[in-house]
Amino acid sequence: MLDDLFSPASIAIIGASRDENKIGNVILRNLVSSGFSGRIYPVNPSYPEIMDLKCYPSVKDIGDPTTIAVIVLPARVVPQSVEDCINAGVKFLIIISGGFAETGPDGEKLSERILSLIRNSGTRLIGPNTVGLYLPYSNINTTLTSYSRVSFPPPGNIGFISQSGALGLLTMDAISEYGIGISAFINLGNRLDVDETEFLDFFESDSRTGSVAIYMESVADGRAFYERIRRFNSRKPLVILKAGRTEQSAMAASLHTGAMASNDSIFDGMLSQAGSVRAYDETELIDYARVLAYSKRMKGNRIAVLTTAGGVGVISTDYISDPGSTKPLQMARLSENTKDQIRKVIVPYGSAQNPIDLTADGSVNDYDRVLEILMRDDDVDAVLVYALPQTPKMDMGVVDVVEKHMKTGKPIVVGVLGYKIAKQLLVEFERRKIPAFPSVHRSVKSLCALYEYSAFRSVRQ
Amino acid sequence: MKGKISEMMPTDRNPDEYAVKRMISAYGITTPKSVLMDSREREVELRFPVVVKVSDPKILHKSEVGGVTTGIRDRKQLAEEVSRMKARFPNAGILVEEMEKGGLEIIAGLVNDRNFGNVIMLGMGGLYTELYHDVVFRLTPISRTDAADMIDSVKIRVFEKGFRGIKVAREAIIDLLWKLSLISEDIGGDLDMLDLNPVIVNGDRISAVDAKLILKKLP
Repeated sequence: MLDDLFSPASIAIIGASRDENKIGNVILRNLVSSGFSGRIYPVNPSYPEIMDLKCYPSVKDIGDPTTIAVIVLPARVVPQSVEDCINAGVKFLIIISGGFAETGPDGEKLSERILSLIRNSGTRLIGPNTVGLYLPYSNINTTLTSYSRVSFPPPGNIGFISQSGALGLLTMDAISEYGIGISAFINLGNRLDVDETEFLDFFESDSRTGSVAIYMESVADGRAFYERIRRFNSRKPLVILKAGRTEQSAMAASLHTGAMASNDSIFDGMLSQAGSVRAYDETELIDYARVLAYSKRMKGNRIAVLTTAGGVGVISTDYISDPGSTKPLQMARLSENTKDQIRKVIVPYGSAQNPIDLTADGSVNDYDRVLEILMRDDDVDAVLVYALPQTPKMDMGVVDVVEKHMKTGKPIVVGVLGYKIAKQLLVEFERRKIPAFPSVHRSVKSLCALYEYSAFRSVRQ
Repeated sequence: MKGKISEMMPTDRNPDEYAVKRMISAYGITTPKSVLMDSREREVELRFPVVVKVSDPKILHKSEVGGVTTGIRDRKQLAEEVSRMKARFPNAGILVEEMEKGGLEIIAGLVNDRNFGNVIMLGMGGLYTELYHDVVFRLTPISRTDAADMIDSVKIRVFEKGFRGIKVAREAIIDLLWKLSLISEDIGGDLDMLDLNPVIVNGDRISAVDAKLILKKLP
């Protein structure tokens, strides 16, 4: 259904502008800069051409079937433009303009008018009031923020849907720092026509998407959403950041059960039941989406920690052993055989007990040998490996070692602390699709997310 | 509404405690052994101590109006308490029930949510339910795996291994939730809320000591 949206032959920008301060200019510039290989049609009756592209007075004058039309016009003239697009056979409309149902009764009327035009037409609508789409595999960027303000991530494995355009753009900017890639970014705006569930259909069958991350504030039909995401999670992981946790229930409750039933407590239970890992901020959202997209599933909750710094091992142990979690992790109890083998590798003052401490003497080769041993121990379900650049023996070779064991054995999550070399390590781990995180807490939380989803899949299949 | 609960529902759709308990019993949820005292004199075959309660759909919070007397030890005390209660609530049923001793108080319930439909809740019961918010929800119908996850999500899980002499059997609570989920399916869209509060769990013995059901008003 949405396939043409992801590989359009042509895109029209209705309301394209020469004025660099206008959104109609930024979007056209973004589309040109993103390297889109299809045809681009600026539409604006005031100009013969913009940015060396022939400009059309109206979508009707293009004379070529247009796959996508991006509308950047004042709200009051949008219905007319929508009608023109439908008549011209445009397949998808992306209405960037605001001023609809979000502004009051007049905007509501405009929304209804657009909806009645769309209904029973072959044209589908995204928005209105959206910041647009970013589809790196198709070199399409219809967003309204320029490349001079934010970075856009490279092609990757995370499908990203956000109800907040700004949060989506800024999160993409933030993850670009480490080269974290996405398969698509979609801001749905007011969701007048196309909603999350149709994009989930697309992502479910899209081979480039390994997991999906959604930021949402509300859901239109809760029951249908639950059924949809439950099915989705039995194929691919879906991480959800749901805001509005402190909203109180509108329910007048005379019984205890009703009084306890806040919107969020029900939403939270629904997510667990549907197998979705819940994130509580934008960092967790992408962290969990990455670990779930890149890793195999864990068979159990027993974690071995491998470090060259004692303190890092102890903090990790504290987090891993936290009993407050519904699906708690635990530190693996290594067998005597495993410990004996590890002792042969490490220096005498190192620790063969979990957390395994190679000390500052630990080399990349030691990592390789100890990981080999841990991969064979049946009492270990996943390994948290710290690649810590403070010791002279740590180098980029650790990435190869982790990659080798991750491909053949159990899930590995990597923690990297620091900045100078650490940043390069993080970027390189990311390039190889190895889940690596710049703090102890984020590393352990990501393991929790992986275990939670693994548990859902193992019970349900 | 369908199934057993539909057949047992009073025509005014406003069941009192005794009626709600008979309905949930029909689904296999255990309630304390009880006798409804109406105009006729009855021989009471209960094990003391017992509790005397007013059973009236209009009185949702019985203890606030003096509608509950616990710890009645013998027949003489019982006769006195029943006549006192009858005088106080002349138009209501009076329920005499065996008292559950010890055990863990939990709360289980159903509520209809506008967006998600019928949902089931489990939590720690007693005085602090609303303070600690130690409750968990799922959409009904639930599977036994969902029920087990619910137990793991609240402090009830601690009592599986035993705490301060109180121990609860996981299967008994899973069973309770499973039956409650069947009730939810049978009531369907007519449900407003249902409270089993408290349910007392002692090992694999489980008993819904109080039960309230509110259906949606008919349009």
